[in-house]
Amino acid sequence: MTERPGSVVIDVAVEPESIDLVQNAFETWWTSLGDDSLETRFSFETAIVEIAANVVEHSRRSDADHGRRFTLELSATEDRLTAVFHDNGMPSEIDLSAVSMADLEDEDGRGLALALLSLESLDYEHVDGKNVWTLVCRR
Amino acid sequence: MMTVTVEAVEGGCVLSPQGRLTVVSTPQLRDEVAARLAAGDRLIVVDLSGTTFVDSSGLGALVSCLKSARQAGGDLRLVAPTEQVSMVLRLTNLDRILKPRASVAAALDD
Repeated sequence: MTERPGSVVIDVAVEPESIDLVQNAFETWWTSLGDDSLETRFSFETAIVEIAANVVEHSRRSDADHGRRFTLELSATEDRLTAVFHDNGMPSEIDLSAVSMADLEDEDGRGLALALLSLESLDYEHVDGKNVWTLVCRR
Repeated sequence: MMTVTVEAVEGGCVLSPQGRLTVVSTPQLRDEVAARLAAGDRLIVVDLSGTTFVDSSGLGALVSCLKSARQAGGDLRLVAPTEQVSMVLRLTNLDRILKPRASVAAALDD
């Protein structure tokens, strides 16, 4: 579902298997950009997978409605890559300013910290009944 | 999509996850390590040369498997992580407790 050159939108069910679909879409989109910076690619891809997993996990924990879906729009300008997630699940109470990396022995709690470290900016807001995550990476 | 190949070596095994080690596929790795430890293996070598991507749940599974191996009196050693995997190990500081070896031979010799 290409919207315009350098931009793609996917719409998938809120379920773990969709993370693979997100990553497949990312790979196709990245290849179309013709950008050969592996560091940029891996940073952005890592953050996108972590936020997709967060959307799925948050919905699983907080929401009895199994019919949820989320969208991801990927777009690029000369110096920025942007990913925007929309989902219609319950509002998240996340405070991104309070996120820190888990201790070495911990088995979870690294996802959002890893996303923050991989991006120029990460924002969350609840707008018009939707959760909106905006990820920006410098290229 | 990920597959895990298993090769028996003296005192343990070499597990080679091929593809993405993410929330979708981590149960497969955890189950494989648990089965090998239950079967008596003590040295678990995880060859990451064919693992194209690891997310935080994959990292959590590696930490969990490391702890299980050590609780059983053994160890878990990583080998040859690819570029994205090296990056996330570094960003999370996990390269301190999961210090990668250059090759399977080096992991077996330690």
